Amino acid sequence: MKSKYIFGGIIVAVFLTLMVYLFTQSSIQYESSFTKVIEKGRTVKATGKWIKERNYEINPQEKTFTFFMKDTSGVEMKVVYHGSIPNNFEVAQSVVVTGQYKDGSFHAREILTKCPSKYQDKKSS
Amino acid sequence: MLGSLIISAAFLCSLLSMVLYFLAFKGKTNLATYARTAYHSMVFLVFAASIFFLYIILTHQYQYHYVYSYSSDNLSIGYLISTFWAGQEGSFMLWLFLTAFTGVVLQYYTAKRDSLEYSVMAVFGLTTTFLLAMVSPLLKNPFAYIWSEPLLLDLKNINPDMVRLPILQSFFFADPGTGQPYMRFNTEVYAALQNAGITMKEFIIHGKGLNPLLQNFWMQIHPPILFAGFSLATVPFTFAVSALMRNDYKDWVRQSFPWLLAMSGILGLGIMLGGYWAYGVLGWGGYWAWDPVENSSLVPWLISVAAIHTFIVQRKTQNEQSPIGRFARTNLILSLLVFILVVYSTFLTRSGILGDASVHSFDNPGSSDYIFLLMFIITYALLGIVMVAVRWNKLGALSLPEGNLLSRELALFTAAVAFICSATVVVVGTSAPIIKKTVEPAFYNQMHVPLAIIIGLLNGLSLILSWKTTSTKNLMKELKISLIIAFVLSILSIIIGDVTNPMMMLLIFSSFVILIINGKSGYKVFKANKKVLGAYVSHIGIALFLLGVVGSAAYSQEKEINLVKGQPTHVLGYELTFSDLVLNKDNKYEFVIDVRKPGGDASQSISDILRFTRSQGQVRPLMFISEVNNGLMKEPDILTSFVKDLYISPLNYDDGSSQAQNGTQLTLAPDQETSIAGVKVRYNELIKPDVSAMSSGGNFTMGVRLTVGEGKDSHPIDVLIRKDGNNFVAIPVEIPEANVRLSLSTIDHASKSVAIVVTPNDGAHSQMTQQSEVFTVAVSTKPFISLVWIGVAIMVIGFGISTFRRFKESSK
Repeated sequence: MKSKYIFGGIIVAVFLTLMVYLFTQSSIQYESSFTKVIEKGRTVKATGKWIKERNYEINPQEKTFTFFMKDTSGVEMKVVYHGSIPNNFEVAQSVVVTGQYKDGSFHAREILTKCPSKYQDKKSS
Repeated sequence: MLGSLIISAAFLCSLLSMVLYFLAFKGKTNLATYARTAYHSMVFLVFAASIFFLYIILTHQYQYHYVYSYSSDNLSIGYLISTFWAGQEGSFMLWLFLTAFTGVVLQYYTAKRDSLEYSVMAVFGLTTTFLLAMVSPLLKNPFAYIWSEPLLLDLKNINPDMVRLPILQSFFFADPGTGQPYMRFNTEVYAALQNAGITMKEFIIHGKGLNPLLQNFWMQIHPPILFAGFSLATVPFTFAVSALMRNDYKDWVRQSFPWLLAMSGILGLGIMLGGYWAYGVLGWGGYWAWDPVENSSLVPWLISVAAIHTFIVQRKTQNEQSPIGRFARTNLILSLLVFILVVYSTFLTRSGILGDASVHSFDNPGSSDYIFLLMFIITYALLGIVMVAVRWNKLGALSLPEGNLLSRELALFTAAVAFICSATVVVVGTSAPIIKKTVEPAFYNQMHVPLAIIIGLLNGLSLILSWKTTSTKNLMKELKISLIIAFVLSILSIIIGDVTNPMMMLLIFSSFVILIINGKSGYKVFKANKKVLGAYVSHIGIALFLLGVVGSAAYSQEKEINLVKGQPTHVLGYELTFSDLVLNKDNKYEFVIDVRKPGGDASQSISDILRFTRSQGQVRPLMFISEVNNGLMKEPDILTSFVKDLYISPLNYDDGSSQAQNGTQLTLAPDQETSIAGVKVRYNELIKPDVSAMSSGGNFTMGVRLTVGEGKDSHPIDVLIRKDGNNFVAIPVEIPEANVRLSLSTIDHASKSVAIVVTPNDGAHSQMTQQSEVFTVAVSTKPFISLVWIGVAIMVIGFGISTFRRFKESSK
């Protein structure tokens, strides 16, 4: 009689356990405090601004792009991006880098730039 | 005004029709005629509004905010039509249009089935009412005028004759990033122009244009098909609520079934076309990125597929003794969920709640939209939950005792559970940004590999199980041959494809099980009863799709390489030569790359001609500056064949004249002083561009004058940027005393401060080293990606056959 529930119940239980486990394994937190990014050394999506005044470097041989970022409280961090400089990076308002802090710099495998939306959209200041 | 008026009138008609239909359902059947008239008037008005909307797009009426934002006069007619759904407002309009039309067919369909029309159309009206409220003047109004909200007008879009009007001068400024001139447009400007007797139509003569990513054939047909799927998703919901209202669960499954199948087929097709577009245009090499917007249409589809499987059981177990059959509650809940999830997805992707997580181009709506979308989802969820809760016990009493463990019923139910699990994974992952988290694609992939294996094996098993009970002995006999064939084919693929991952081996085996068993059963059925072929066809499609996914995702190879012009480069078994750079008629740069497989001679083999494989050919990836967003756009190109796609995506182009790109950036405000390598540098004045050249779109220069040094040694230098066609070129200046070179990066016209890049001028850099042209690309191979498209197409055909069959049955 209850075979439906036993069968389904087992699948659901196994499935939920697996999903919760994988969720905790593969989810990435947004982090806006670089102090925490540096302390924890975990893979995060760090959000901040590009410090245009600091030196930046493009290395075409190793295909890296190195620059500095700062968070809202002014903490600075060196970022090494493994890839070529993203489109519209110069005009980016804020930057989201995905990666991990290791050996004195943040190694980013992904950069997402947010362009100043006021030039693309309706809102004017 | 006209558009907004029509929408408001349509809203009232929709509301009226809903109420009248409900009263008709409550017994006042004499009101049904009025309800019908109200519904049809609403449809007429929605059609009129849509035609008017298309008319203002086609006639370039830039006084409408939407038309200005998403179209321009140089677009071809096809792209002008796709402007209709390029933005939020328009896509809601499209959804509304298709839903209204679906309602016409539904009304016709239900009117032939006694009093069914009243309850069904009363519930259906809820969706048109909500969608009409969404596009009403209060929310996402596609007919909003341009002055209803402040915005920045690009100077090149304004009539040049009016740029010099004195009243407008204080509203001009330039974008600090690019130097592009803009105008702050607001009610003040609007009032000034009205006083001067200038209409908006005269004043704004160009639109901003359509996002270049959307200027693609697939983007012309993907949204209408997807929204047709969304519109049809209302119907199973409607039938379920109507059954609960009437407290009669005998016929609704039969009546709702063809709609559910049609919805599932069309939505599936729409999702695939979106994937095909992403593959051909976006250039990241795949067709599915688990992006929230993609996921949001996948979830309702998965639930609809689950519902199809449990619908079959209910239909099969309905008989004289038990008119309702099994899984009545499950089917009601799943039917409700299909549309609730459509609304939930809309909420996630349109409310701005996902924030950083999505790369899709819908911008954040204001808070009133957020609240409205929340109301939308809560209304549907509450309606569903309350109705089911009220009828729960009555439904329980009607349900049948369970069948045997080895029955097709249970296998189908388990398949439905697996689909629900898959949908849950996607919903959880997509909703993660609500709690400030985001999941990696690995989360979805790792969860779906085992689910796909289970679904495949279950599918094979279920077709062999008979409806009541199957003895283990018969089962093994039936299974043996198919399993052996599937096993042999899997081993062959594993060896040829060099597959080492055990999960992938299982998935390949499971896909072959579906393929063989469905092929075998399908062949038997084809000879006996062609009408019921749909399921087998769909399953074969799914099997091919899964094999394509394994090949193209797990066994794709990718390499980033530099192609030096004229120099053949070997990569992934191909020889690529960047032979030419052509500026095509659309002002886009085509990078001509000749592809050859070394070893193959020039003569084409039969397999090449049939496009089974490709041993030579030419690809032309594109790069261009888009006028719409001033961004550098890159478009991949693909050498397609059945066995393998060669996918070439542009990354970077270096014409050989580039300089070392490192330096420090320096920001200077007016009159500010700084020192560079011990030399005093002072901001003297801003060099403004010539307004008339700027407004006519001609070339101009602007920049900053600096004073270098102190006292009598001081001298001015100009650091300039020149607009040259579509590009802005910095003109570098040297300061020999400091041994540096300065080039202007940005000007902030509000604060008048400038950003300057300082590069060391140490001889090595000042000498330009003559290099050859280098085109950097990402090259990847996608084995059997063709099976992904073929598989989905076959699956959709299967849905079509089943829809036809269940439609015939529904009137019995």
